[in-house]
Amino acid sequence: MAELVTFEQFVVRILKIVFWILIILPLIILPIFYLAYVLPVEFVCGFNALTCSTHINWAFAINMFNPEQMDPFSSTSMLSQMGLGASGVLFKSSTFPGLTFAAVLSSFVIWYERKLLAKMQYRVGPLYAGRVGGIFQSFADLFKLLFKEIVIPAKADALMFLAPPFAMMALSGALLAIIPIGSTTYIAQSPYSLLIAIAILSFFPMVTLLAGWASNNKFSFIGAIRALYQMISYEIPLLLSVLGVVILTRSLNLSVIAESQTKIWYIAPMILGAVVFYLTAMAELERIPFDLPEADSELVAGWLTEYTSMVFGVLNLAVYIKLYALSALFTILFLGGWLGPPGLPDFVWFLIKTAIVLTIFIIPRGFSPRIRIDQLIGFGWLWLVGLTFVNIFIAFMLSASGLL
Amino acid sequence: MSMPLASSGLQTAQVAEDKLVVSIGPQHPGAGHFRFTITVDGDTIVDVAPDPGYVHRGAEKQTEYRTYLQSIPMLERSSLTDVTNIIGPYSLAAEELMGIEIPPRGQYLRMIMSENQRIMSHLYWLGIQGIFLGHSTMFMWPLGDRDIFVDLGQMIGGARITYSYWIPGGVRNDMPESFKPRALKVFDYFETRLKDYERIFFQNPLFLKRTEDVGVLRREDAIKLGVVGPVLRGSDVKSDTRIDEPYCFYKDLDFEVPSYKECDTYARCMVHLVEMRQSMRIIRQCLEKMPLGPVRVKLSPQQRTNPGEAYARVEAARGAMSFHIISDGSTKPYRVRISVPSMRNLIVLKKLLIGSHVADMPAIYWSLDYWPVEADK
Amino acid sequence: MSGAQAKQEPSPRAHELVNSLNSTFGQMVSVTVLRPNRIRVQTDRANLRALATFARDMLHFDHCTNVSGTDFPKDKQIQIDYHLGSIDGEDLRSVILGLTCRVPSDDAKLPSLIEIFPSVDLHERETYEMLGVTFEGHPELARLLLPEDWSDIPPMLKAYRLPGRLEGE
Repeated sequence: MAELVTFEQFVVRILKIVFWILIILPLIILPIFYLAYVLPVEFVCGFNALTCSTHINWAFAINMFNPEQMDPFSSTSMLSQMGLGASGVLFKSSTFPGLTFAAVLSSFVIWYERKLLAKMQYRVGPLYAGRVGGIFQSFADLFKLLFKEIVIPAKADALMFLAPPFAMMALSGALLAIIPIGSTTYIAQSPYSLLIAIAILSFFPMVTLLAGWASNNKFSFIGAIRALYQMISYEIPLLLSVLGVVILTRSLNLSVIAESQTKIWYIAPMILGAVVFYLTAMAELERIPFDLPEADSELVAGWLTEYTSMVFGVLNLAVYIKLYALSALFTILFLGGWLGPPGLPDFVWFLIKTAIVLTIFIIPRGFSPRIRIDQLIGFGWLWLVGLTFVNIFIAFMLSASGLL
Repeated sequence: MSMPLASSGLQTAQVAEDKLVVSIGPQHPGAGHFRFTITVDGDTIVDVAPDPGYVHRGAEKQTEYRTYLQSIPMLERSSLTDVTNIIGPYSLAAEELMGIEIPPRGQYLRMIMSENQRIMSHLYWLGIQGIFLGHSTMFMWPLGDRDIFVDLGQMIGGARITYSYWIPGGVRNDMPESFKPRALKVFDYFETRLKDYERIFFQNPLFLKRTEDVGVLRREDAIKLGVVGPVLRGSDVKSDTRIDEPYCFYKDLDFEVPSYKECDTYARCMVHLVEMRQSMRIIRQCLEKMPLGPVRVKLSPQQRTNPGEAYARVEAARGAMSFHIISDGSTKPYRVRISVPSMRNLIVLKKLLIGSHVADMPAIYWSLDYWPVEADK
Repeated sequence: MSGAQAKQEPSPRAHELVNSLNSTFGQMVSVTVLRPNRIRVQTDRANLRALATFARDMLHFDHCTNVSGTDFPKDKQIQIDYHLGSIDGEDLRSVILGLTCRVPSDDAKLPSLIEIFPSVDLHERETYEMLGVTFEGHPELARLLLPEDWSDIPPMLKAYRLPGRLEGE
């Protein structure tokens, strides 16, 4: 590798790498899932229990509020009503575009983040697991974690200590369920899906606090309190930042929001809202520069300190699924969702856009130090909330003038 | 149906104090081999109790069992990032007791190695300061660049870290011919890198937000508490042993000592940055002015000294490092007392941390240039 | 022991200091010039505080760089050296003023200089645990470097031998 002399060369190098990774990531990984999607999967299953369990599926539960809004997917055929088959709820929620897809994608996101960061820092990053650039490093880590002992601190409340990983995973999964990734590729539809997504996001601080409190560790506790502060004070700008888009579309349905961006992507008129959403999502995700709950130089690992083994792995995976879900939300709200030139399936366009947003979420880790809690909260309440009001004002003006 | 709390028969009682006592270290990513207990009230530190000593190896006691030359490898283990400079005052004091003069080429080689070591130590410092602020690139870049200076040191000293190069009587060996072109090339490269550091790390708005007006140590406090090195110079005092009491040939060389009026963590960071530039300038001048000739005076392994005492100091990377040697005329020193900059800077930790935020704790702590192994000796 | 070292000519600034010390304290101190910029003032513990106050207020030595303690079992004495330096004093940055004080080993007590020079804090604590010298007036004379369960004599005394080392090795 030639010696890099100037910062400009460095940036060019990074952009090239980003470009190639962005090309390769969708081209190699996504066809696998596309194949899995089009291939018919038949369950030969006579257990009533399975049928019953799918009937009390949470996707149904969400729609139980309004029977008229029950989705077509639950009444097309007997098979899919029972939640079986390639287009059934069970397949969708568990495989694609549900949890398994998101988990596998997240493990590649972890690898991608490490590799990108390594390139920014003149390192090689993961190298040995897998033929190409250590691409299976995350799976190697997974197997390593699986063989580790699960240590529960002696004075911790074991039940409460082990609950947060599952709760975290469940919440991330719930967030996935409500986010459509194509015009016909979704798990659950609801006219209030944006509101539901925000409501699910506001559950995360409680899980974090539970994790920190149950660990019976001072570092965990301080980390959890910080996470609580941070997430609660950034929820308000998050909610306000999407309000502009809602005003323009007059809908809370994410599918409608995505489909209504045929004329122009909302990132152009709602640039302030997009910036605020980006920053608040970073804070919700506890990513650098907002990773104070996990600040390793002062709090060891924050609220994750006492977690070991696959319990830690599950927590970490849930956080990365949340990262993917928030990137997807950003894509739907501001980048036109799955809209794109014809030729590729719509969810491929969606995933390409999501990968770009993911990269933008990841890159600050390379050039930014950590912010302090008082600065963070001051920034959130003073600047972000102020900007969202400007954004809402712009949305009102555009809506009233009939431009959009 | 609302009922006041008191009339419902409920009573409130304070079950615990609002303050939380947190023990930082010795197994903590932010403390190194050092422990301090902080008491926090919300996000504010109200009390600090430093507790060094986890890596105390009794270096002072062990010198009683060794001859003057045997002590060197043991002493330099105390300060692994700064090995040349910790041997410096020891050798100067021993030579003073022995009454020997060092050949000029040896003096110049001492300065080259000492300044090279200063750059290495400062780069290490910068990297850790970066990771303490959560900036991982600021950790990786300086530590990667430090490696080329380790290579430079290896060309002269043979080892990568622990050279035992500066010894009583001169230096251990001459430098190779290939050192000068290699060093000049490295310096050209590193000067562009320093510009990058300044632009990318030091002018980063978040870095400024985290370091400016954080851990302010006023000039009068700095002098009264006797701090040294970059901490002292960051507190608006232009003091450097290389200028105050020049050893080797520092008085013939042209270099600047930085000092900043802001007295905060950012000023201390800038001092490190500027000192790296000045160190390269010094080495360039040394390479120009260096005469040919012997590099050391051959000493006997059982070298005896004149009875008496000597107090010598040099400017190590972390500040003035001084040795006080009392000799009874035998082959072994009677008493060696090491006054290390880390120990002298530790005294202000309590002063700076009380009243600051918990999140500023790592930034302030590391800006004091505290190296637990060196302080514990 | 240190007296055996040959006297040297002091630097002009150091010469002033020597004169000032001699004229103020007279017979109470004995001033030795070890090197042009190294002055050693020997005194007894009763005069130590007065001498230190004089060094700070009149001679402008503003901080203490080092406190070292040495055990002399033959004399049954422990010698404490305070090395004072100066930042603000004019032309004094190169001068080190050593205040030397000898105390008997069986009554190793000394007035602490912490009120005069706050910078002696950790050095005095270290000397206390390493040599067993009590500094009267020090607010926090606690263990610093040694382990909490150290139960032997103070290690820097010559009577303490490192375990595993033969006599005279």
